[in-house]
Amino acid sequence: MLQTIFASGADPVGHVVDKNINEWLTLSMLSIVAGFAVAMFVLVKAAKAIQTGPESDGNRRYITTSRLGQVIEVMVLHLRDEMLKPVMGERLANTWTPFLLSQFFFVLTLNLFGLVPWADMQEAVFVVFGHHPHFDVPANFSQKSAVYFGGTATASILVTGGLATVSLVAILYQSIRELGILGTLEHLCGGPDLVRGPIFLWLVIPLIFVVELAGLIIKPAALAIRLFANMVAGHTLLAVLFGFGAAAAKAGAGTFGVASITLLSGTFGVLISFLELFVALLQAFIFMFLTAVFISLMSHGDDHAHDEEHSHDHADSHGHAPATAAAH
Amino acid sequence: MILASSDPIAFDTIAPYITAVVVFVVFFAIFAQFIMPTITKGLDDRNNKILGEIAAAEAARTEAKAAQAAFEKRLVEAQDEATKTIAAARADAQRIAGELRTKAEAELADLKRRAHDDMESARKQAVADLEAHAAHLAVSVAGRILGREIKPADQSTLIADSLKELAATRN
Repeated sequence: MLQTIFASGADPVGHVVDKNINEWLTLSMLSIVAGFAVAMFVLVKAAKAIQTGPESDGNRRYITTSRLGQVIEVMVLHLRDEMLKPVMGERLANTWTPFLLSQFFFVLTLNLFGLVPWADMQEAVFVVFGHHPHFDVPANFSQKSAVYFGGTATASILVTGGLATVSLVAILYQSIRELGILGTLEHLCGGPDLVRGPIFLWLVIPLIFVVELAGLIIKPAALAIRLFANMVAGHTLLAVLFGFGAAAAKAGAGTFGVASITLLSGTFGVLISFLELFVALLQAFIFMFLTAVFISLMSHGDDHAHDEEHSHDHADSHGHAPATAAAH
Repeated sequence: MILASSDPIAFDTIAPYITAVVVFVVFFAIFAQFIMPTITKGLDDRNNKILGEIAAAEAARTEAKAAQAAFEKRLVEAQDEATKTIAAARADAQRIAGELRTKAEAELADLKRRAHDDMESARKQAVADLEAHAAHLAVSVAGRILGREIKPADQSTLIADSLKELAATRN
């Protein structure tokens, strides 16, 4: 009965990665759908609290009364007015704020949803009732699941890749919308100065095109990998800390030793959980913010260096956000 | 997982990827279509309400300032008018008092003159009566003293002498 706990203690990474429930359904897919439902519920409730009330309420109809509504309102106002508008400009920010905020709230919900130990609670129930479905799962699944619900969807590279693909589509859409297809190609070939410049400079255009195209794909890929890596790393760290006691027991430590190690590592685990709460928020913000930066970069067809300089300025003025993201 | 699979594009391999894209697109559609406009409208309504209240307060303050300025202007005008009215009344009073004084002085002078004339006339009459009486008396006295009747020529001489004496006595 304790084998599964010992096993999870010995294999913390296995505790974090996505698992199959049947031939095609995975835990991350259920988490995405559940996260979608939770985010919808919270945002609709918040929107109702923020919207103007009936005339009979007098001046109070303009006040957001619910705490949830106030939290969402602060987030929306701060992200829109203090982050997106300074980075993208008024016009672009007005166009892209719904998309970028939906990205933020979606990723944030999935990140936070992953912090709730749904899977562990199910494991505990299975342990209590003495039957573990781990043994019923067909052996041909790459990752066998002992549970039917839980896990961090954004700890799957496929999920973060999907979200980053949407970002890539948004970046390309904005570029084509602003510059046209030819303008976008021209941008990818080094800009009008190079394309319409001296003929001998055309020799470098293929090289620039390859680099720019690679950059176009690498940017969202970096978004996906950054989010995935942060979620996996954080949850692995938590699994390691919470599994120390089981690992000690497996290694033959006495009761006092196991209890001491569990208490110490559990305390650190709780503290790291607070850090993970912050990371969940930070990574959602970074995913959204970098998408906003890439969209605004692709919408400028002029001086490339100027754009880069701009992005660095924005990063500096907002606490080195991209640098922080990369470092994290 | 994709690389490990024998069929890289099999649905069961990329199902989480497709789920993430589809669910997010649905989420974005609902968020952009219904939730964000509701939130934005609520925030805009509040902003407009606050800006409207501030504008109304500014207008009311401007109006109050204008009303105060007009009131102060009217107050100054009223004070000027009152000062002018008081000055005019004072001038009228002075003028009327002057006229009354002049008239009273004239009347007094006239009264004085008439009284003086009356007195003069009465004095003259009295003097004349006295003279006549004195003359008559003198003549009587003289007649009695002399025991004879005085002729008119003597009488005239006597009267003239008496008058001279009387005049000398008066002086």
